[in-house]
Amino acid sequence: MDITFPLFGTTTATSDSCGLSVEGLETSLNTANPWQLSLPATGVFGLTGPSGSGKSTLLAALAGLRRCRGDITFANTVWQRGRRALATHKRALSLGFQDSRLFAGQSVADNLALARNYSRRPLPAEECEQLLRAFGIAPLLHQPIELLSGGEAQRVALLRQLFHNASLQLFDEPLSAVDRAQVLRCLLPTLRDFWARYPALVIWTSHDFDEIQLLAQRCLWMESAGLSAPLSLGEVARRLDTNTVGDSCRSRIEARVESLQDGLLSLDLGGVFIYADRVTGHYSKGDTAAFLLEAGDISLSVEKPGLSSILNCLPVALIEKQNLTDGRIRLRLIAAEQVFYADISRLSCERLQLREDTTYFAQFKAGSLAGL
Amino acid sequence: MNIAAADWQALWLTLRLAGLTTLLLFIIGVPLAWQLSQWQSRWRHGVEVLITLPLVLPPTVLGFYLLLLFSPNYAPGQWLSQLFGGPLVFSFGGLVFASVIYSLPFMVQPLLAAFSANGQRLTQAAAALGIPPWAALLKVLLPASRAAIVSACALTFAHTLGEFGVVLMIGGAIPGETQVVSIALYQHVEAMEYGAAHRLALMLMGITTVMLLLARWLGHILAPRGANKEGIKPVMGVMG
Repeated sequence: MDITFPLFGTTTATSDSCGLSVEGLETSLNTANPWQLSLPATGVFGLTGPSGSGKSTLLAALAGLRRCRGDITFANTVWQRGRRALATHKRALSLGFQDSRLFAGQSVADNLALARNYSRRPLPAEECEQLLRAFGIAPLLHQPIELLSGGEAQRVALLRQLFHNASLQLFDEPLSAVDRAQVLRCLLPTLRDFWARYPALVIWTSHDFDEIQLLAQRCLWMESAGLSAPLSLGEVARRLDTNTVGDSCRSRIEARVESLQDGLLSLDLGGVFIYADRVTGHYSKGDTAAFLLEAGDISLSVEKPGLSSILNCLPVALIEKQNLTDGRIRLRLIAAEQVFYADISRLSCERLQLREDTTYFAQFKAGSLAGL
Repeated sequence: MNIAAADWQALWLTLRLAGLTTLLLFIIGVPLAWQLSQWQSRWRHGVEVLITLPLVLPPTVLGFYLLLLFSPNYAPGQWLSQLFGGPLVFSFGGLVFASVIYSLPFMVQPLLAAFSANGQRLTQAAAALGIPPWAALLKVLLPASRAAIVSACALTFAHTLGEFGVVLMIGGAIPGETQVVSIALYQHVEAMEYGAAHRLALMLMGITTVMLLLARWLGHILAPRGANKEGIKPVMGVMG
């Protein structure tokens, strides 16, 4: 008889998956409802749900910073078995906190260098340079961290975590204080590019569904300390209810990259070309690119418009009209099997005599495609 | 000012004693305060009280028991004289030993307060970036606590300068060996040499004032400017 017990904190071959495996994880928050989770070794996963539902607790438990019991295995390494836990610094992970937690009394550069020095897979110097520029941190390098604004501190903390480049990267609302336009325009495309080049398992916690839509394909849902398996973005959107209520509504659209010339990205959406400018990410022909379209940025015409400086004109079918509480009308449109929303005034709706199941032309400027 | 050679000797001895005590206490105090701040046991309160005891106890109580401890008539004293190569009582080594115990709270308390305030947050953040605990102490916690360290060292130094009761109990007043300024001053007063007493007293006041001003200024420079969100504030003025 040959029974071998997996050694604690050492690599074993007993686990089937080489990603993250969580079995029966209990903290003081979910004693009746242990968490199960199985994720692949690489990929970006969102984590969202109502405030106070236990998202931060889950991340702290995974990192070994919160007392818990259960089994955690990552990359065939046992991190926790029952009550015995591997020390946090010995786990191949990084955790970013909601409150940045930059190292006081040191400069931005010191903070970043420290994270890179203790990395198990340090980034090449040119990669660091590129990230510094993309995050707009280069001019702040020699500032003491006490002089940073809230948004700057968050960007530095996020960058510090990227410099550490752990195999499992846990983020807890890392961009909540950063200017939204900068997040959509610059940071999210940069992050997506980065993880395409340096794959890791990423859990991105946020209340901002736009961030999750642009970074992740699938999303975990936490509600009343109950954790779901990875869900599709559509299912999460339904649970969040963001796409049907609220004054701002962004739809996620996917298209195939055709070319990138003179700063203008052309995308193929079911045979119709659409254009985006001010693009941050790197794309090559044939890539699938996801972007967000704000409902308020889209205009509708009954007939195909003539030449206009507005580059994008898309034939769309109107599926549904919905009255918003502020008097506007939200139109549910479909083009190339992708559903998105446009908000127009009641007056426009009456003038155009919009009817369901009819084809119209949606127009939007190249600059309104966010997150590319 | 006209100060006798013996008084200069006392002054130099006092500065040596305070400097050495501060250095030793820094080496002992940092790991001690760090361990205490990490410790989540009810025994922590007991140990904290023990460390704070020299703050409230009359120095003569401490001196009396240290005298017994150093006594060559008992085993601990014999062991200590073997360790230090001679009896500790009425010696400079004995004074340093006593000062380290006497000034312990002045070093440990400010550090402990600093480490407890934000230390947990920063060590967690360090661990979550793969930084092991000792490296986190040296490379994260100490730089974040610079202002508190300056204040702790200044308090320890100033407090050791003014030591009297314990020195009298275990050191006596051997010039060049155990006669510190406060003792020399006392002897001048006893001998009605008020002029010499004045000179020493003013000197001591001058030194301590400059010391504390220097510490405040350093603390001001080292403390982060603007809103202190992440930094650890010094706890000057809590004691002393």
